[in-house]
Amino acid sequence: MLCENCGKHPATTHIHTMVNGVSTEKNLCGYCAALLGYHKFGPSSISNLLSSMFGEIAETGTPPETKRCSVCGASFSDIVETGKVGCSACYETFYEQLLPSLKRLHGSIHHVGKTPEPTDLIVHKPDKLAELQQKLKELIEKENFEEAAVVRDQIKAFEEEGKEHE
Amino acid sequence: MSSWYKQRGKEDDIVVSTRIRIARNLVGIPFPGRMNDLQRDEVNRQVRDAVAKGSNSFAEQLQYIDMESVPEAEAYAMVERHMISPAFAERKAHRALLLSRDESISIMLGEEDHIRIQVIRPGLALDEAYEVADQVDRLLCQHLKIAFDPKIGFLTECPTNLGTGLRASVMLHLPVLEESGEVAALTESVGKIGLTVRGMYGEGSRSAASLYQLSNQITLGISEHNAIENLKTITMQLVERERAARTALPKIQLEDAVWRAYGLLANQRILSSEEMMKHLSWIKLGVSMGILNLDPTLPISLLIEGQPAMLQKTYGIMTPADRDINRAGMIRERLR
Repeated sequence: MLCENCGKHPATTHIHTMVNGVSTEKNLCGYCAALLGYHKFGPSSISNLLSSMFGEIAETGTPPETKRCSVCGASFSDIVETGKVGCSACYETFYEQLLPSLKRLHGSIHHVGKTPEPTDLIVHKPDKLAELQQKLKELIEKENFEEAAVVRDQIKAFEEEGKEHE
Repeated sequence: MSSWYKQRGKEDDIVVSTRIRIARNLVGIPFPGRMNDLQRDEVNRQVRDAVAKGSNSFAEQLQYIDMESVPEAEAYAMVERHMISPAFAERKAHRALLLSRDESISIMLGEEDHIRIQVIRPGLALDEAYEVADQVDRLLCQHLKIAFDPKIGFLTECPTNLGTGLRASVMLHLPVLEESGEVAALTESVGKIGLTVRGMYGEGSRSAASLYQLSNQITLGISEHNAIENLKTITMQLVERERAARTALPKIQLEDAVWRAYGLLANQRILSSEEMMKHLSWIKLGVSMGILNLDPTLPISLLIEGQPAMLQKTYGIMTPADRDINRAGMIRERLR
C-alpha cells in the first residue's frame, strides 16, 4: 500500500484517530507521518528508546529521503521511526548512520563470537548484486554502454561465484 | 520426555528455568516488519526445507506447525508454557513454528526476526541449553543463507540483538532478596556489566510470584561463551545470596507464613491468578526449605497450569469468574 499523503512511498505507519466520536484512519509513509506530526508515537517503549537514539542522529545527519535501501525500500527515517531495521542490506546502506547508535547500545561495534561456516558465508551478496544491477540500469538509461558492459561482466562473475558457493 | 516445568534441574530451589534464544535472518528478504505475506510464506518454506534436509539428529525431532491451524487458546497456552512470545500468538497468520516433541526446542518463524531459535531447560543449564541451540543453528546454517556481516555479526531487525543474536536468560525465584529490597538495587548494578533484570509476571518493580528474569543485554562485542559465563557467574552469586538470606530468616515466622499459604491454597474456593502466584511463591520457598514435603516441581507446575489459557485447555472456554473457581479446584486437588 502506498502512502495516502504523497502516494509515492510504501505506507509504513497506520494512524487511527478518534475525535469527538468520529474515527478516521490514515496509512502514511515514515516521512509523511513525521511531516504531519505523528512521529512522536511508537509501538513500544523499546522502539521509542531506539527512535530517540536514532532521532538525535537523524536531526544532525543528511535529509532522510535522499537514500533508500535497494532491497527493502526503507529509508533511514523509517528505521528511526520504528526502531527497526528494514532488512539485512540496510545495515550496509545506512552503516555510517547506524554506527553511533550501535556503539551506544552495545559499547562496541565489532562482532566477537560465532561466525557461520565458511561455505555458508554469503555476506550481502544479493545486496551487492542488487546494487550492481541498479548501476547497470542507470548506465543504460544514460546510454553509457561502455561502462555498462563492464558492470554487466561484474554481475556475471558475481552470479557465478555465488553458484560455486551453493 | 515431559515439559520443562515438570522436571528437576540444577539449583532448582532458586533457578526455575534457563532459556537460550538465538535470532537469525535470511539474506535478500526484508525483516518481518517489512515482509508481505508471500515473503512470510517463503521464509517458512525455506526453513522447513532446510530442516528436512538437515543431517543432524534434531531435524527428526522438529515438527512443523502452521500457526493458523493452532486454536487461539492453545497458542496462548504455549505462551504460558514459555514456548512462544505473546506477539507471536497475537498474529498467527503466515507464521509457523518448529517444535520438538518435548517442547524444549521451539523455532518461531516470522516473529521479530525470520528465525528465533529457543531452547528451554529446567534449573540452571546454560551450557547444555546453548549447546542444543547452537546445534540447531548449525543445522539451519547448513542449508540457508544467513544474514551475517564480519564486522557487526549476525544481522537482526532490532539493533539490540545485533552481533551474536543471543539472549540467554535464567528465571530466578528470589522472594527473600525481593523483600529486603536487594532485587531493586540489583537492577542498577547488573546493568553496568551488560545484564538486565525484570519481573516475570505483572507490571512494576515487584513480580507477582517473586520470579525474576536475568538476561544478557549486550550482543555485540562479546562472544556467546563470555556472555553466558557472565550470566552464570552473576546467577550463582544471586543463588548464594538468596540461600544465605533464607537461612537467616527467623524459623518459626517462616514456617508460619509457608503453612498459612498452604492452608489457604488447600482450602480456598475462588482463586485469582495473582493470589495463586503470591501463595505458590511461599509454597515453593517452603518446599526448598524442607518445611513442606511436596514434589519440588509442583509449585511451578501449578503456577503455569493455573494460567488462564492453560486452564481453558483443560476446562474449556469460560468466564473469568468461572476460571477463578476452576483454578481454585485444580489447586486444591493437586495439593491434597
